Order: sequence, then structure tokens, then C-alpha cells
Amino acid sequence: MHWYEWFALAALAICLISFAHHFFRLLKLGKPRDYSARAGSTTRGIVYSFTAGMNPRNKESAFLHLPTYTAGVIFHVATFLSIVMFFLLLSGLECSRLICILLTLAAFSGAAAGVGIFIKRLTDNKLRRLSNPDDYISNMLVTLFQLFTGLVLLNNGLYPAYMIVAGLLFIYMPAGKLKHAIYFFAARYHLGLFYGWRNVWPMKKP
Amino acid sequence: MEKITKDKIECGLEVLKRLQDSKLISHLNSCVHCGLCADSCLYYLATGDERMIPAGKVDMVSAIYRRYCTITGKVFPALVGARELDDTNIREMVDLLYGACTMCGRCVKHCSIGVDIEYVIRTGREMLAKMGYVPESLQATVDAALTSGNNMAIPDEDFLDTIEWMEEELQDELNDPTATIPINQPGKNILYTLNPREPKFFPLSISAMAKIFYAAKESWTLSTGMYDVTNYAYFSSHPGHSRIIAQRMYDELQKMQAKKLVLAECGHGARANRWEGPNYIGREFPETVTSVELIAGYIKSGRIRPDRELNREVVTLHDPCNLVRSGGIVKEQRYILKNTVKNFVEMTPHGMDNFCCGGGGGQLAMSEYNDRRIKIAGIKAEQIKKTGAAIVATPCHNCVDQLSQINVTYRLNVQIKTMAEIVADSLIIEHP
Repeated sequence: MHWYEWFALAALAICLISFAHHFFRLLKLGKPRDYSARAGSTTRGIVYSFTAGMNPRNKESAFLHLPTYTAGVIFHVATFLSIVMFFLLLSGLECSRLICILLTLAAFSGAAAGVGIFIKRLTDNKLRRLSNPDDYISNMLVTLFQLFTGLVLLNNGLYPAYMIVAGLLFIYMPAGKLKHAIYFFAARYHLGLFYGWRNVWPMKKP
Repeated sequence: MEKITKDKIECGLEVLKRLQDSKLISHLNSCVHCGLCADSCLYYLATGDERMIPAGKVDMVSAIYRRYCTITGKVFPALVGARELDDTNIREMVDLLYGACTMCGRCVKHCSIGVDIEYVIRTGREMLAKMGYVPESLQATVDAALTSGNNMAIPDEDFLDTIEWMEEELQDELNDPTATIPINQPGKNILYTLNPREPKFFPLSISAMAKIFYAAKESWTLSTGMYDVTNYAYFSSHPGHSRIIAQRMYDELQKMQAKKLVLAECGHGARANRWEGPNYIGREFPETVTSVELIAGYIKSGRIRPDRELNREVVTLHDPCNLVRSGGIVKEQRYILKNTVKNFVEMTPHGMDNFCCGGGGGQLAMSEYNDRRIKIAGIKAEQIKKTGAAIVATPCHNCVDQLSQINVTYRLNVQIKTMAEIVADSLIIEHP
């Protein structure tokens, strides 16, 4: 193994240990105790929260902002695929040409979406007001990671640079808002629990 | 505003540091600042003020959390936008968390992540309440409830006079001298509550509900000990104050030995008693239902017989946020209206997506923000206008008050009625 691979692996270990800390802290703290008489099913509420509750047709944040929403979905799917690709590349496993082409396209699409979101954050007054340096750095690192995933699939000579970018991303992930990779699931769980208990979710049509 | 002291800062931070479960940190760490919640907030839609985007309000709280409770925020505060709990930020927190949010929860449903924005805002309000920064007018309303037993500080004598007067009205209307509005009668099936606005400003809604109880042959009573369904400490978010008020309701229910607590038409009152009350006092309430659920049940079971022909005008419905988005009561009010009025039309949007009237979150009690409250209500006024309705029905007295004000300001020329009034107007009374 080369030093840049050790660097990426060490960064990944730091990231995983930190995420594990957050995860086990969430588990240890547990769910809130509710003394009110339950009116609905918390299980159904949680399932709804992760399924129909995220349906873009039910969310103004999606259907009123379709280009941004679509870019966000592409960005996140490509991030997930890029992380899978990282393990494949590190392990030396080779995938078929077709899968390589698809993954390259996905990575470049994600990077393009990331650039779009970055530009929007930079140029939209209300988004700029909401943003702090972490928002820009997080976006930039993930976008670079996707870009280099695509590039390294096309040109293996970029492998060292790719590993360094991956390492930087992994080191930074626990420091800022990329923690939402863990907390997103916790937030939706709590939302489902809360609304399921009160029989608000699954949502009823009037 | 009084300058902040070290002790006060500690009081405020204690709310963020004292983690009882994983809910708070889950929501504080989830917002990604996408800003897509902006178009779901009536403050932002009505004013265009970027400070009022829900994510920005969440950040008022989470930035302080980051500064004092995370390593990155402690070491590199500028990197993650962490903020000090200082006078400047507190002033902005008061203005945005109390003065620019009705806690309607509309943004929560539409948040791309699933951040319980309203819960975070209540946490921020709790910090401010513990530091003593509740807006004076809201605190005065809470104090009135704490000291007098009802938020309008109505003396018992005045309350009893009003009830007696309404009882006479009821007897005249029903042509039955035995018709009563029972007071302080233990052992009844129902302990009924009121919004103090009823005895103070809208007493006819009391006789309307009494007429429904009469038609349903219900065993019920009011109590002078505790009839106030509201809990304004839910809005100020002071846990000690909200606990005292909730405990008072629980104790009265025990004292009156009623089987069921029925909550008057009041969105936040329903929430504060049905859902939050048990958590304030740490024990389950006896069976607690809203009057909307009760009346819908009466109609379904045939205990009361409404005639839709008696309400022929076009009626629309304003859904109180706390009843719908936080209580799941969506169908019951529609079932009632479909059985009691000839022409019912929905607003757009309605139900879970309905816009707040602008009076929620304690706004009606905070005179400091009156102009803002009336301005944001323009969205509701437009919704009402588009229905072409002559009557706006709503199962919430706070909403009635706000809608009555915007009826004048925006020249809507509609009548605002509670569900009980609509139902009472449609009742066929069978005399023995």
C-alpha cells in the first residue's frame, strides 16, 4: 500500500470512529418518553416518515423547487455510489466496463449537481445569508470526491490524487454538517415517532 | 432589554446541555441550510424578509449549540457559524423565535430533511424563558393564568354571572326552563372547559355548546376551579409555568371526578392538554378529547340530529394548526360541516397544508408584534376571499379572534363562527 492509501484509510477510520460515537450516543440517549395517551402507531409513523413522508408530491421543498430537488437527489445518490466505488478501488476489485461507464456517468452527474448547488448557494441572497463556511467546504469536498471518482475511472494515473481527496473528505465529514449522514436518519425517526404517536402520520386525506 | 449576565447564560445553555433523550441533538444536527423551507413559511411569504426563513430560525438555536456543545464549534466557531449567547443574538432570538413564528409546523411537514423546526424553536423559546426574555405582553398573559386561574383574569363572580345569563338565553331558546349550564357538579361524565375569550367576549359559544349537550342528553359540568383550556406557557415555553397550569387541570379533573375531559375549541389548548400536558406533569391524563371529536361522535351515533337546510350559506373551514398538524384531527371537523351545512367549500390549500391564520404561537397575546401579525394574515385573507364563502368556521377561539381582526382589516365581509355555533344552528331539538 502507498502512503496516500494509508492516508485515506486513516481518514476513513477517524470518520467511522467519530460517526460511531455519534451513533452510539444517539442510541444511548434513546427516544423521549411520552406520557400522553397514544392515538396512533409509532411503527407506521416511522415507516411513513422514511417512505411516503419523503414523497416529493407531499413536499413543497420538492415540488416547488424541482431543479434544486433533482440536483439534490442526484448529488446524494452519486455520493453513495462514489463511496461504494472507493471501497472497490481500494480493494483492487475490477468491475465490468458497462458498470464502470455507468459509475463514471453517475459520478460526473453528481459533481455537476454539486457545482450547481454550490453556485446557487453563492448567488442566491437568501441561501448566502443562511450559509457559513462549512456549507461551502462540505459541498466542495463532496463535489471534488465525485469528480475524482469519475476521473480516476477514466484515468488510473489520478489514483493518488483521488485517494488524497477521499482522505480530506473523510477527515472533514465528522467536523461539520456532513454529520447529517447520521443525523438525517435520527431526525426522520423522531419525526415519525412523534407524528405516529399522535396519529398525524400516516397522513390522512381530508 | 436587560443586559445578559453569566448566570443567565448558564440558565439558557442548560436547556441545550441537559439532554434527556436523542431528539434535540437529532434535530439540531440535521439542518443542511438548503433554504427550501422558505416557501412554506407565511412570515417569509408575506414579508420576503430573509431573516424569517425557518432554517434561519433553527440556526439561531443550533449555532449556539455548536458554539458551546461541539468540538468544532468550540475550536473553530467561524468555520461552522457558531454563535455566542450574547445580547445581540438574544435580541435577534426574541424577535425571530417569539415575534416571527406562529409555531404552525407547516415548515416541518415540508422540510427536505425532516427537521422538527417547531420543536427547535420551542427549545429556543425555552432558553429565552429561562433567561427571563419572554416578551412582556405574553408573560403578562401567563402571569394572569398563574395568579387568577384563567388567562384573562376573569373574577369568579363575573364568570358565574355570564354563565347564569347564558343559561337564561338557553332556556329561552329551547323554551325549556329546566335547561341548564351545570357548574361545579362532581361525578358527571364530562368536565367541559372553555377558552376565557368565551365568557369575556363570545358568550354565545358557551350557550351553543350547552345546546349541543342538551340535545345529546349529556351529563356534563363546568368548574369554577379550572375552566381555562389555554396554556400560554406552552407559547412562552417556560417549563415550570406550563407545568403549574397543566397540573391545575389534572387536579380539577380528579376533584370533579369526571370521566372525561372535553377540551373547548382551542387549537393550542387541545395540544397543551391532550399532548403536552401529560408530559408537563409526568403522568397520563384521564380520557381527554376535543369538542370537535365529541360532536362528530354525537352525529355519527345519532345522539344529535342536525339539519343541513338550517345552514344554507356557503361555509368554508379554517383548520387550526395545532389541531390538524400536531393533533391529527382532520376528518372530524369536515364530517361535522358536511352534516350541518348545505354548502361547504374547502380553502386552497387546506388540511395538513393549511396556512396558519397568523394568530398562533402566542402572537395574539404579543402586542409588540401586532403589525407583523396582521401583515402575515394577508395570506389567509386571500385564501378566504377565493372561496367566496359567507361564513368561516373554525374550531379555535384564538383563530376566531385573529380571523375577526383580518375580516375587518382586509374587508372580507364574512362571519366567523365556531363549530359549536354552526352545529347549534342546525340542531333539531326534540322536546319530550
